[in-house]
Amino acid sequence: MIPTVAPAPADADQAGSTTPAAAPARSAGKAGLTKFSRHRLLTSPGAVAGLVWLAAIVTASLTAPLWLPFKTEDQDFTAVLSGPTAAHWLGTDELGRDILSRIFAAAAGTLGTSMLTVIVGVGLGTILAMLAAGTGERTEAVISRVTEIMMSLPGTVIILAVIGAVGTNIPVVMAILGILMSAGIYRVILGQAKSLQSQLYVDAAKVDGVSPLRISLRHVLPGLANTIVVQAALIFAVGMLIQAGLAFIGFGPPIPQPSWGGMIQGASQHVYDAPWMMVPTGAVLALTVLSANAIGNALGKAPNAAAPHLPSAAARRQRAKAVAAIAAAPVSEAQAARNGASHDAASEGTLSVRSLSVGVDNGVRLVTDVSFDVEQGTVLGLVGESGCGKTMTALSLLGLLPSGVSVSGGQILWNGRNLAAATEKDMEGIRGRDIALISQEPMRALDPMFTVGYQLTAAIRRLRGMGKSEARTEARNLLEKVGIVDAQRILKTYPHQISGGMAQRVAIALALSGQPRLLVADEPTTALDVTVQAEILSLLRALVKDTGMSVVMVTHDLGVVADICDQVAVMYAGQVVENGNTAAILDNPRHPYTLALLAADPHANDADNMPERLATIQGQVPQPKDWPTGCRFAARCQFAGSACTDPVPLLASGAGEGLVRCVKADQLAVEGMDWLATDVPAARLLPVSPATSQHTAVIEKDLA
Amino acid sequence: MALFITKRLLMALATVLVVALLAFLLVHAMPGSPGAVSLGAGASQDAIDEVNQRLGWNDPLFTQFFTWLGSAVQGDLGISLIDGRSISADLASRLPVTASLAAGATVLSAVLGIGLGVTAAVRGGLLDQVIGGFVGLLVALPAFWVGVIFVYVFAVQSSVFPATGYVPFEVSPQDWALSLALPVITLAVGGGAFIARQTRASMLEALQQEHIRTLRATATPTWKILYVHALRYASLPIVAGIALQFIGLFGGSVIAEQLFAMPGLGQAVQTSVSTHDAPAVQGVVVIATVVVVAVNLLLELATKFLDPKLRAS
Repeated sequence: MIPTVAPAPADADQAGSTTPAAAPARSAGKAGLTKFSRHRLLTSPGAVAGLVWLAAIVTASLTAPLWLPFKTEDQDFTAVLSGPTAAHWLGTDELGRDILSRIFAAAAGTLGTSMLTVIVGVGLGTILAMLAAGTGERTEAVISRVTEIMMSLPGTVIILAVIGAVGTNIPVVMAILGILMSAGIYRVILGQAKSLQSQLYVDAAKVDGVSPLRISLRHVLPGLANTIVVQAALIFAVGMLIQAGLAFIGFGPPIPQPSWGGMIQGASQHVYDAPWMMVPTGAVLALTVLSANAIGNALGKAPNAAAPHLPSAAARRQRAKAVAAIAAAPVSEAQAARNGASHDAASEGTLSVRSLSVGVDNGVRLVTDVSFDVEQGTVLGLVGESGCGKTMTALSLLGLLPSGVSVSGGQILWNGRNLAAATEKDMEGIRGRDIALISQEPMRALDPMFTVGYQLTAAIRRLRGMGKSEARTEARNLLEKVGIVDAQRILKTYPHQISGGMAQRVAIALALSGQPRLLVADEPTTALDVTVQAEILSLLRALVKDTGMSVVMVTHDLGVVADICDQVAVMYAGQVVENGNTAAILDNPRHPYTLALLAADPHANDADNMPERLATIQGQVPQPKDWPTGCRFAARCQFAGSACTDPVPLLASGAGEGLVRCVKADQLAVEGMDWLATDVPAARLLPVSPATSQHTAVIEKDLA
Repeated sequence: MALFITKRLLMALATVLVVALLAFLLVHAMPGSPGAVSLGAGASQDAIDEVNQRLGWNDPLFTQFFTWLGSAVQGDLGISLIDGRSISADLASRLPVTASLAAGATVLSAVLGIGLGVTAAVRGGLLDQVIGGFVGLLVALPAFWVGVIFVYVFAVQSSVFPATGYVPFEVSPQDWALSLALPVITLAVGGGAFIARQTRASMLEALQQEHIRTLRATATPTWKILYVHALRYASLPIVAGIALQFIGLFGGSVIAEQLFAMPGLGQAVQTSVSTHDAPAVQGVVVIATVVVVAVNLLLELATKFLDPKLRAS
């Protein structure tokens, strides 16, 4: 068979071009915009083996005249159709010709003409794509239309007709094959070329008057390098297969010149009496194709492919094991005592997170020793910059951590029951009914292939055990409850037909469908317009009041905290650095990080005494692998001193029931220090007195 | 919708016309005049000229093309230069062979490919790697090689299936199925591997979508997430992959038909190219294009039906 004139998708990356949801597909495409990576090539065993094989076969075929034991037409009538012997390592064919010699004599031509297909196909495809991306929509429309027609041609039949016209002139045929295949390559490359053309630095170059040709060559082409190499490798493989296929049906190089396809054809005539003959040529052809594919696939792999939200069965088994380990782990006495306490007090709808740690399966910890409580009917805010572990903490409450990430220690006590040690089956009983989730991007949180009505009624029927029509009515009620006026119409729409704010209301309705008692809201307003944000927040506030459910609200917006949260836990680098009730923390922050966040928030400062410059926090949240053993904020803290290099426990902050993780908290409070907008000279940093350390030791004892 | 279909039909018609013109020009570039081909070696120049004159070979290209087109739209693709049979009738008898071959191989590829691809994506771990390696190998194996091995194993070693030949359905449905078995399996090896890759990639991409998390958060059972929601999301690229396979297999049947001695379109094109039978080549190219264009049209309709975003617009 002559394979389809379109390379197989190497990865999700390329398959993305035909997926229904254009937006996520585009983001996947962007992930593919990586520079040619030697690393990826060399870390894939298959690709390394492929490179070695290709190098070997190219060298062998180029040097063939020097070492081949026989001439291609030498006939050894004493050994016709022989298997491997000392004289003929790979045996002989029906005329007693040495198969090894013929394979390598044919190799140079096969590889060379396949390369011709690659050069013509990939070259033409790339040029067309860069032209279409660089010169505006008219050109693109024309080129795309033409390639569309080219792609809807019966490639094999056309190639045969070409052979009819030009004869078995293999280089010409392979070049024309390249032209036919360029349409598919154009389609693959166009998306990337367009994405590169729309980069800001390309815009800047255009403004600077750089010529379109120069832009294409200097800014676009380098970004396409990886894709081009991937396509080249895959087309090379397809080219070889097609060429061998043509030779097999008798359109190979003129006889007696050897070709791989022709040799397999010859062998097929003797499959009855000398089946061995099929093996050597077939194996060499398959290995060469395999090598090119392996190289293409290794390079084409999307570098940071997102983890699936539903882990594979294998990953789920692994997680079940980890959960079982946690369940079996002995609970320390202190913890047991605390559990006992919380268990007694466990009124319905209480969440108590104790020393929770979340880590990547390779050992990197993302969240360490996080504890907080959420009483029924209250709202807890988890605040902090991106990368502080807020979302991981929130997702762990539902057992919905992404693939490859799991709870590595601690407890999540829901009504006294440890969810961290619950099986997937148990969690299915909790999710939706007890604990529900709303996420950051409402558009992506809803299934684009099903109507709002289907998604809502399915959830209601499942979670509340209602019949179809009853669920339908309930769905409409829920939509009205979340403030949607024309609920009847919205039920019939698909997610892409409604606005972001509307979608978030639908997502909230979906979360409410099981009448949960705890709502985990992961930055529910971040992706929305400011006015819509306020509406959604007041909706959530009203829902808390009406239903008596509690909320864990993940946010980086202190305005949201002030607006809706009763309690706050400020997180930094996987730890809670300060917690307490909202008023106390906003009015009287104790941890330098909280101080800094407030100083950096334009809304937290009064209009009257708005500082000339808002404060900033130097640097970035450290990567989990770079967390120091001491205070994790020390490197960015204006008040850091030598004592900050030791591990810091959570201490009573003195303000209400709050806790703070800073050895200098008391000192800062006493001296009334503010986070300053400018860099602080070292001279202003406080010396750490021994007294403070002693103080901490005492409190630590109290806690234990 | 009606407008959409009309537009697409016009596009399809234009494509077929372009290809017809292309094919016409190509076969005109074939070596030898119709007279020379038809009369064979040793014919006198006068006789050759006489045949050429009769077939209109000396008319302007323009006239020749429209003469051909005029009869083609009436279903007459001319007569073979070699044996004078009607090309339309010949191709009509061959079309069912290739169609059953390509359709059978596509169905088998889809079943195998979706099964393997979904399993690899859903089960993960070692099984995923094993399937991945297996599929990678199958993609690299040339179909003609696989076919010969199948003949060796199933027809030579054990005569489960007939090695060659084709029995029309009307003659004996059972023999028809048996005669199709080996060629269909041969073609489905590579096709199935291709669809398996496409399916695995699409399923994984579907499972990376955030709405999967929402489904889990509302306690949707795993089987429903996988086989209703994720598979539904992945269905578009998978269907596109299957359509592409059908197109590929339709062309790929050239090799299967040669290997298993089946009187299909592929065999026709191979023979007529070898014998420089220009009108026959032209006829096959046009018929194959019509089939491919029709499949693409169906694919587009299927896509429009499957994707709510396109359906609404």
